[in-house]
Amino acid sequence: MRVAGQILRTLLLLWLATLAAFAVVRAMPADPAVLTLLAFDRPATPEAVAALRAQWGLDRPLALQYLAWLADFVAGDWRVSFRTGTPIFGEFLHRLPVSLGVGLAGLALALGLAAPLGGAAARRPGGIVDRVLDALTLGAQAVPAFWLACLLIWLFAVELRWITVLGDGGWQRYVLPVAVVALAGLGPLAAVYRAGLLDVGRSLYVTAAIAKGLTPDEALMRHGRRYAALGLAAALTAEAGWVVGGAAVVEVVFGLPGISAFLVDSIAVRDYFVLQAYIVVAVAWMLCVSLSAQLARAWLDPRTDEA
Amino acid sequence: MSHHLPAAHRRRLWILPLLAAGAAVSAVWQPFAPDAIDLAQRHAPMSALHWLGTDHLGRDVLSRVLVGAHVTVAVVAIVGAMAVTLGSLVGLAAALGGRWTAAVLLRGAEFLAVAPSLVIAIALTALFGLDALTAGFALGIGACGPFALLSYGLARRGMAEPYVRAARALGAGTGALIVRHVWPAMLDTQFAYLGAKLGRVAIAYAALAFLGLGADVTRPDWGAMLYEYRPFMFDNPLLMVWPGLAVVLVCVSLRTAFGGDPGARVPASGGDACTAVECAEAHDLAGASPRPLRLVPGLAAAPRRLI
Repeated sequence: MRVAGQILRTLLLLWLATLAAFAVVRAMPADPAVLTLLAFDRPATPEAVAALRAQWGLDRPLALQYLAWLADFVAGDWRVSFRTGTPIFGEFLHRLPVSLGVGLAGLALALGLAAPLGGAAARRPGGIVDRVLDALTLGAQAVPAFWLACLLIWLFAVELRWITVLGDGGWQRYVLPVAVVALAGLGPLAAVYRAGLLDVGRSLYVTAAIAKGLTPDEALMRHGRRYAALGLAAALTAEAGWVVGGAAVVEVVFGLPGISAFLVDSIAVRDYFVLQAYIVVAVAWMLCVSLSAQLARAWLDPRTDEA
Repeated sequence: MSHHLPAAHRRRLWILPLLAAGAAVSAVWQPFAPDAIDLAQRHAPMSALHWLGTDHLGRDVLSRVLVGAHVTVAVVAIVGAMAVTLGSLVGLAAALGGRWTAAVLLRGAEFLAVAPSLVIAIALTALFGLDALTAGFALGIGACGPFALLSYGLARRGMAEPYVRAARALGAGTGALIVRHVWPAMLDTQFAYLGAKLGRVAIAYAALAFLGLGADVTRPDWGAMLYEYRPFMFDNPLLMVWPGLAVVLVCVSLRTAFGGDPGARVPASGGDACTAVECAEAHDLAGASPRPLRLVPGLAAAPRRLI
């Protein structure tokens, strides 16, 4: 019952996303036909503009345009980009793995480091590791990722010359983007894990485990880890939700062929169908992550189901 | 409640007027005219005359960084005001209203929380032109969604507190109940959330300008400066350092002022509003994310007050 309700609500939000995507994009001033003609150094004569608009179907009533686009979109025909002339669906198919790969690899790296770091910090609250973690968390909140990315490029590619960043560097060009995503996620994830461990450390069953003869560290690690992992999993979902929509600036700085870079290139000419597809894809990814998280949580921790 | 918290998480609201005063002074006074070009002084190093050196056109970097301050602070102030008033109102209305009111308000807030705010911000700034006011408005709408969800969770939680039920049983009206009992208890968490969120707003504004999409790149905004100085990263990397440091300084001040770290003490908002809030919380244009809210209802809750 509850599962069905959640799925229904996700679908409702997704439909809302298509509506909002259409409305927001069409509300932007400036005519894509004019902009596209100018971008290709053609004179934007009224005839040329009208011809382009007719070709793209922009001369029909808005409601009809929306319904036609929605039907095509659901069927997998995402229309053709005004700018590149290529099918948008194929373009996203090529670019999505780059965006997802960098984001998820960065998150995996952050997660791998967060558990030991958070654990060490929880063992000695106020100790050295804890302070390092505090600084990392503050850094993740206060340092713009695109600025950090620029500084890393300067340090590793210009000063030290350890890795190539731009051009066809093979796997090397993905090292710094993944590191930036990981650095941004590491502090918050580790902090959540630490808070979870400290939380559970005050619980009676950990006290009981200590009374049984375990050292406090052992008790925490053996009996408290799973509770803290619940919080960590939730935090991870929150981070994962923004993998698609959140890393635009990182993609731009590193020149990665991801979908956000495609969006940024497409905005200049108001590439309607690309913008609409991007909004829907970003929201869909977030809703997928959120839905699977809710289902997983209800399964892992039945108490949440009662709420 | 503040005195129970470790020093790092205490509120220091007196920083806010200091920040506003600093921004106001820097708006009217700079050592040099920020746009005064002096080609004889290109890329001058730091000196007693030009404290932070000069850029590729011989403009005084300190003056340009100072001018950027008031725009950023204005954007942050607008977003903060919008989030607190609109977000609180919507959250409270959803908590107090009937089932359908709540559903409509919460779905709307959820949508704002998951929509890619980069696209929304670009669309709105394209509609109304970009200045501090429109950017603040665009980012503020995005911030209202998650803040409303947070307020809803807190209000629901507050209404269920024994002391609130006791006050109601004693005959307190709804208005008095909210103003005297429910809302004050929400403030602590709201402040902590604001501290993390408003810092992200400063970064988001810089990211918008950096992408060169909405912002006027010729104006001395911090993000626009970073964009403009990017080609000189190799010859004069310090040019990239100062505007970025300015953003970091504002973020750290905001977090310190509001006593950051919502993760350590935000009670789970209960029910399903969490997931959107946690997504929203992690939301950021630049790919980095602040610490998510605690998610496991029940155990993560603050100790219940006894009557």
